[in-house]
Amino acid sequence: MDLSSFAEGPLLWIAFLVFIIGTLIRMAQFLFVAKTKDRPFYNYFSLKYILATLARWLLPLNVDVKKNPVFIICVYLFHICLIVVPIWLSGHVSMWEESRFGWSWSSLPDKWADWMTLLLLAIAVYFILRRALSPDLRIITTFADYLLIVVTVLPFLTGYCLTHGTLDSIKFLGDNMRLLHVLSAELMLILIPLTRLSHSVLFFFSRAATGVEFGRRGYSI
Amino acid sequence: MTEDVNPKAIMDFLKPKLGARLRTWIDICTHCGMCADTCHFYLASGKDPKMIPSYKVRFLRDLIKRKGRADKELLQEIYKSIYYECNMCKRCTLYCPFGIDIGFLISTLRGLLTSLGIAPEGLKKAVENYKLTGNQMAVSKEDWVETILWCEEEAAAEVVGVKIPIDKKGAKIMYTVNAREPKFYPQDIMEVAKIFTVAGEDWTVPSEKGWDDTNLAMFISDASTARMIVENTFKRAEELEVKQVAVTE
Repeated sequence: MDLSSFAEGPLLWIAFLVFIIGTLIRMAQFLFVAKTKDRPFYNYFSLKYILATLARWLLPLNVDVKKNPVFIICVYLFHICLIVVPIWLSGHVSMWEESRFGWSWSSLPDKWADWMTLLLLAIAVYFILRRALSPDLRIITTFADYLLIVVTVLPFLTGYCLTHGTLDSIKFLGDNMRLLHVLSAELMLILIPLTRLSHSVLFFFSRAATGVEFGRRGYSI
Repeated sequence: MTEDVNPKAIMDFLKPKLGARLRTWIDICTHCGMCADTCHFYLASGKDPKMIPSYKVRFLRDLIKRKGRADKELLQEIYKSIYYECNMCKRCTLYCPFGIDIGFLISTLRGLLTSLGIAPEGLKKAVENYKLTGNQMAVSKEDWVETILWCEEEAAAEVVGVKIPIDKKGAKIMYTVNAREPKFYPQDIMEVAKIFTVAGEDWTVPSEKGWDDTNLAMFISDASTARMIVENTFKRAEELEVKQVAVTE
């Protein structure tokens, strides 16, 4: 088995399983550990506060939008593109249709997917520059912060190059872009439960915990 | 690094504290910087990046990563940061997209240092006083009761009929004070006595432990003493069968 079929076969399975099982474990861990060590979360559990705080922070209804609108709007757009493009890209949907699962759902017009990808890449560049240039952010930024931005955007960069043949003039890249795309996506999936990319699921738990704690005290959530 | 601090002591304190929230918060902070200008220490220091809340809690992550290895200098650095660069107001949490409770993380660090015997001397002394006498100024029961009687007498000279009922069972309100009042500001007690009298309230003060409503143990995250202080007040309230507990201004 060559690297290409390994990456699109067993490794893809491994990546998806690590991603799915890993995130499930992170969620279960939170709920179980909280049972013994964060009793207030259960004692004062309130669906009302949790839904309120999640709505406020998933939608642009929070204080940060007012405080730093440019950055926050970029953050929202970045995350929307990040989730929408891989799931609804026509190329991906057709692969699900051909797969053993035979799943199918409607797809995004390719033009949209292109623009959303470019938008995501542009915002990622802004994120990196922002980190590198602001003295405030420099002091709290670790190497991992840069690395994770790169890991996150690599599948999009390679995906764009793959569908447009942007870098095909460079022989190695032209020959292996599909492999690079698959490998980078697998790397991202595997790193989600293992790094602070886990905020994709733990966001909900963290917000819920603070929503319950602050809500019951009458603070702003 | 000189290893003159026992890493086991540090981890023994932190491990049981590493609950779901703490662990999650240490793991998921993406260093977005939204907390920076919400901090009054940051703004008041001319936007010193070292005052960014997210930066101040780095110690916790580092200590856990290093399995508790630390030296005295690091502990001093932590001490300065968590006592003189944060007062746990939690304003940053209101602006954190993840709702990370930085005040709670700082409070955990304060608890860690307290467990290693490091805390502001004044607070340490006060907490010793609570343990021994139930109040932060180490006022004895005799002194307390005597002060109340004397305050009653003085206040009655100004407002007719002022009484400070001590241990009156079944009163509506149990009044509690800051232990600095009997020690330094008894006039505060007199003023309150006048107000209660003129308002015609049914009130009382307890003679036993529990009359000091301050809780300085909380500031050094000494949870067991903080709990004891609150329990003293609750015990008195139950004994005296009051409906409400009032605290001094």
